[in-house]
Amino acid sequence: MSDLAQRQQAFLAAILDDAAPMPQGWGNSQAAGMDVYRGNYRSALMDVLADTFERTRRYVGEQPFRQVSMHHIITHPPAGWTIDEAGEGFAQTCADLFRDNPEAGELAWLEWSMRLLATAPDTAPLTAQDFAAASANFGDEEWSNLRLGFAPCATARLVGHDFEAMWRALGEEGGDIPQAVLPAPQCCLVWREGERPTFKLVEADHTAAFGAMAGGATYAEVIALLIGDDPEPEPEAIQQAAMRAGAMLGLWLNEGLVTALNP
Amino acid sequence: MHDPHAHIAPFDGFGLGLRRVHYDDFLAGGVPVDFVEVISENYMVEGGRQLRILEQIRRDLPVILHGVSMSIGSAGGLDEGHLAALKRLADRIEPLWVSDHLCWTRTSAHNSHDLLPMPLTCEALDAVCANIDRAQEALGRAMLFENPSSYLTFPEDEMSEWEFLTAMTQRTGCYLLLDVNNIYVSSRNHGFDARAYLAGLPLERVRQIHLAGHDPATPERDLIIDTHDRAVADPVWSLYAEAVAMLPQPVATMIERDADIPPLGELLTELDRARALLPA
Repeated sequence: MSDLAQRQQAFLAAILDDAAPMPQGWGNSQAAGMDVYRGNYRSALMDVLADTFERTRRYVGEQPFRQVSMHHIITHPPAGWTIDEAGEGFAQTCADLFRDNPEAGELAWLEWSMRLLATAPDTAPLTAQDFAAASANFGDEEWSNLRLGFAPCATARLVGHDFEAMWRALGEEGGDIPQAVLPAPQCCLVWREGERPTFKLVEADHTAAFGAMAGGATYAEVIALLIGDDPEPEPEAIQQAAMRAGAMLGLWLNEGLVTALNP
Repeated sequence: MHDPHAHIAPFDGFGLGLRRVHYDDFLAGGVPVDFVEVISENYMVEGGRQLRILEQIRRDLPVILHGVSMSIGSAGGLDEGHLAALKRLADRIEPLWVSDHLCWTRTSAHNSHDLLPMPLTCEALDAVCANIDRAQEALGRAMLFENPSSYLTFPEDEMSEWEFLTAMTQRTGCYLLLDVNNIYVSSRNHGFDARAYLAGLPLERVRQIHLAGHDPATPERDLIIDTHDRAVADPVWSLYAEAVAMLPQPVATMIERDADIPPLGELLTELDRARALLPA
């Protein structure tokens, strides 16, 4: 390793860790300068987290947010060239540190998903009419083997809180925040409408179905997933699962999540 | 195919850094500037509103791509992924030019996302020049590099910063983005003469000037901090007037503001002050 590489490693180690030894030959003037670089490093990352997770910050409060941010910066020092990546993994950090408030981790996940969507590739959604025309002559085999392409970065997960209400309330400083526990978990679908990231709470079974299809599963495999573990399902169960898959497909099309057939 | 050593023609004008809070002002049109500068990395994305707005503004105004993450001083070389993304953006926007800083930001393991100081050694100069050669080749164009503000110097330094910059331009054919506030900040922090710095530079290679505000020293802190969060200070205006009087060619001058960003009118007033300081 070159002298320059060693010096840069020692310099960065001293920024990341107050307890790291100062590089050899440094005196008080370098130590004073290092204090500035340490402060710059932390404040830049803290600012990015506060900007990306604005609603999470409002929800948990300023001081707890600062503490969880500092913890995240220490445990997840950034490596990539874009500072926005500082938010990677922050939802899990919130989930780990706010164990008694699982909504904090869910809210951070939602904000991170929305942030990723904001700069995702531009795509044109397939309309219900496009889909109807393309599938008009589908036989059983075409339906069974149908795969869907979704808008890049569109995602889904189970959540236990009413984020539609919380998102609105947390949109401004100082608003009343509803304690919005859902009677049962729901699926939070997140995607982009044109240039605007958006989300919607839908039935819980969308989570697995959307995840499977986004991961490349066929329509028949999703119907099998909805039927469940029964090795010999009744015809009514198959019929019910097929109708359920059809309803989900209709919703995904109407909301603009589907961008391609058999990509 | 672009030529990585192609001449960059001087551009005579006054501009601002384009920031999100001013998007609507620029989209409405008629802002009295000759160009805008954007932080390249903010637009090195796949799609979305921000990129579309930049393309829209580009139809009316020349755009300069100013990067903060090239890490031209990294001993381990450049990040090819970053270079490729920057090339895609440059091809899309067709900027007036592409710039970054004389600094390093990362090692192979971590990124500080700060503009860290280079030791002013022959070894560092070799590394910087090799990286600039690679960047200019990959982008197919000559680049501008900005003199940094810094808060420490290294015991192993072998030359002054202006000697380093001079050798860098001679060896790579790159150009200079002169940040007058950074010269002032570093001169106060390290005790060198800002006029000697200017006089020691190859001024014919300067194509752009940055002006920004700084946080003065305090009883608790001897160092001046480059903050970009307030108006340009009077001593920096004086140094700017001296610099433009020394330059043998016109340059693009702009106000940089990255925090506590005021309404656009306030920045335009500062820009008028810069215009008024041009030699007759």
